[in-house]
Amino acid sequence: MLPLSLLKTAQSHPMLVELKNGETYNGHLVSCDSWMNINLRDVICTSKDGDRFWRMPECYIRGSTIKYLRIPDEVIDMVKEDAQSKSRNRTELNKNRVANSANQRTARSGNRNNFGNRSGQLSGGSGNNALRVGASGQGNRLLAQNNKNRK
Amino acid sequence: MDDLNPLAGTAHLLEEVDKKLMVLLRDGRTLIGYLRSVDQFANLVLQRTIERIHVGNQYGDIPRGVFIIRGENVVLLGEIDREKEQKLPLKEISVDEILDAQRREQEQRQEKHRLVSKALKERGLAVNAELINEDFC
Repeated sequence: MLPLSLLKTAQSHPMLVELKNGETYNGHLVSCDSWMNINLRDVICTSKDGDRFWRMPECYIRGSTIKYLRIPDEVIDMVKEDAQSKSRNRTELNKNRVANSANQRTARSGNRNNFGNRSGQLSGGSGNNALRVGASGQGNRLLAQNNKNRK
Repeated sequence: MDDLNPLAGTAHLLEEVDKKLMVLLRDGRTLIGYLRSVDQFANLVLQRTIERIHVGNQYGDIPRGVFIIRGENVVLLGEIDREKEQKLPLKEISVDEILDAQRREQEQRQEKHRLVSKALKERGLAVNAELINEDFC
């Protein structure tokens, strides 16, 4: 989990952002991007010396001015759960993929026959038709087959 | 080193992940925590972080939690030796005491700066107080 992904996970959570100039911004994270630019909501800004405060409903902070961000402890745990559920999904996805690819193999062979028949009818026409049909790699293979048949 | 390892001979932080590190920031602060993640900018994620303040041979720890540190603010970082950590030649004091000590130290430093810039001014040199290096005091 990269630092910026963690930041993304912390969306809608409260956080403290300290800028390089020492000012701190307390607020809820609304959004962030890959440059660490961030949007905060319900913000309290504190001066470097810590004795002046400003409230603002929202603010945008350019990533390059940030020194660090402090986020709640539980966000890291959320990341761990996220990663776990993702890897679980992935294994399920792989299982499905294996099953699907077995299905697809049979389906594809059926298609090939259909397609072959259809383009067999077309093959009497101009080469343009065949070219358009053959846009995908699979189509090309079929095209070659058809050509062979024609010969 | 293993030739197959694409990171062989390049500086990287991957081996420090999950170790207890001390991180020194450009503003002089010292953070100690467990490194959980890094990226190509040396942005860091520290967990269970404390801020350690040193004054003389005393120190105090302030618990700070989870940090995402923007890489460009890091001066250096290093692993904490757990054995040596047990027998530090320093004395731990409470947060309030260390903050007090830090404030006093800061005031002394400011007073010193004032004297130095005054002395420089008398010799015809106008110097911005912020530019005076600590080493000259």
